[in-house]
Amino acid sequence: MTANVLILCAAGMLVSAYLMVGQKALFTAIRLYGVQSLLLAVIAATIAISQNRHDLFVTAALTVTLKTFLIPWFLMRVIDRIGIHREIEPFLNVPASLLVCLGLTVVGYRVSTGFPEGGQGVSHHLIGIALSMLLIGLFLMVTRKKAITQILALLTVENAVFVVAVGVTSGMPFIVELGISFDVILAVLVLGVLVQRIVGRFESMDVSRLSKLKG
Amino acid sequence: MIQDAFFAAGLAVAQAVGLLAVAPLLRTLIKKMKARLQNRQGPPLLQGYYDLAKLFAKESVRSETASWIYVAGPRVYFAAAVSATTLVPVLIAMAPLESAGGILLLVGTLALGRFALATAALDTGSPFGGMGASRDMTVAALAEPALMLGLFTSALAAGSMNLGVLVSGLHQQGPSFHPSDFLALAGLFVILIAETGRIPVDNPATHLELTMIHEAMVLEYAGPDLALVEWASALKELLYMTLLIDLFLPVGIAGSASVSAIGIAALAWAGKVLLLAVAVTLTESTNAKLRLFRVPELVSISLGLAFLALAIRFL
Repeated sequence: MTANVLILCAAGMLVSAYLMVGQKALFTAIRLYGVQSLLLAVIAATIAISQNRHDLFVTAALTVTLKTFLIPWFLMRVIDRIGIHREIEPFLNVPASLLVCLGLTVVGYRVSTGFPEGGQGVSHHLIGIALSMLLIGLFLMVTRKKAITQILALLTVENAVFVVAVGVTSGMPFIVELGISFDVILAVLVLGVLVQRIVGRFESMDVSRLSKLKG
Repeated sequence: MIQDAFFAAGLAVAQAVGLLAVAPLLRTLIKKMKARLQNRQGPPLLQGYYDLAKLFAKESVRSETASWIYVAGPRVYFAAAVSATTLVPVLIAMAPLESAGGILLLVGTLALGRFALATAALDTGSPFGGMGASRDMTVAALAEPALMLGLFTSALAAGSMNLGVLVSGLHQQGPSFHPSDFLALAGLFVILIAETGRIPVDNPATHLELTMIHEAMVLEYAGPDLALVEWASALKELLYMTLLIDLFLPVGIAGSASVSAIGIAALAWAGKVLLLAVAVTLTESTNAKLRLFRVPELVSISLGLAFLALAIRFL
């Protein structure tokens, strides 16, 4: 039962990463990130119940409040302020990106078998999915032009790392977890401000314009 | 042996008739739920049947330039949809005519119906028919391989291409998940939306010329011809939902032909169809229709997910 829930949630996270790749509307991408984080919280809570590790409940609660509500709310506010709602033209179009991501997932899954825990069972799928999401996140970061999408990609990578940390290892010390959570929220805040500055100066979120000099 | 054959034939007829009887209700139910979400009253639940009765009572009007292809189109489409119902397990974990073929035959039968309707739409030479046919084929060209890949994923899990064996295998296995199940489910749900002309892909409620896909294809039809098309489309929708239920949530399906097991299976089936109908309604109500050129992107996502589902099985 536990294994089923874990696999279901992990697969849901992977699907949400794929939908993010196929998605151009920024609001939807942010909502997808919220859903993804919610699934991560479910994973943490499931492990907390099945292995009787109460500290993971705190992780789950933190994940829900920060990543499902606070960060998406903040990013949506940033978008509202600057009034740019769509990713107009990524460097790579959607079908091509999807093909690349398919390849990345296969690579992630294949690599996961090299881990001592990754040979079979639930942790095989958890590591495989986490590695795939990590690669997809990195891929999104380099192929998208809009700064908001790049932030979302970074957060996806962070979620992927969390899946492994929670699901496969015996967990991080509580203080480290708290630190990471605050790091994430701080990073998002700083990046949000940065995005507003970029838009203020260049009247666009397109980071490829940053390479041009402007006197 | 002969008894088995009689049983299979009886089951085939019962399934076809039963699904045909329920199909219009499903369409109206989705319409009604959509209307309620928009604070409207919506049509009465029997509206689907009233519409069909009205259309069947009318005389059929055909263009002077129409040939036999135009007449055959809706009939072949209807026949293909009805015969496809006999290849899918509904209440009992066996497909009535499973010795005729499995997944490939099912996909082929559905493709035959689509082909017949598309050629019929081209037949009269009206620009709408041709446009609708070309659009429908564009979507189908991507949706069909995705459907097959999704079906193959389950076939791989159960070790059989035969839907009856496949479903009973999945049923006996009990609820066990593999990530590929979820990926295939997500992929096939998009296919369900695309193939039945639901909102992000096509809008079943409009006759606005620029956005139509399926409606443009059947715009020329009237009377009994149109009734056949509508009925077959409703049946196809129910069939896809049943297929999704069979492959991913076969809990409650009857293992044997006893009355009590079938009763439970019927209740479970109705509940799961209702659940899918709610999911479709919510998708329709919360999404805007995509531009036509974005539709292949959406369908290619589902193709990607279905492919990935199959690939992960081997990793």
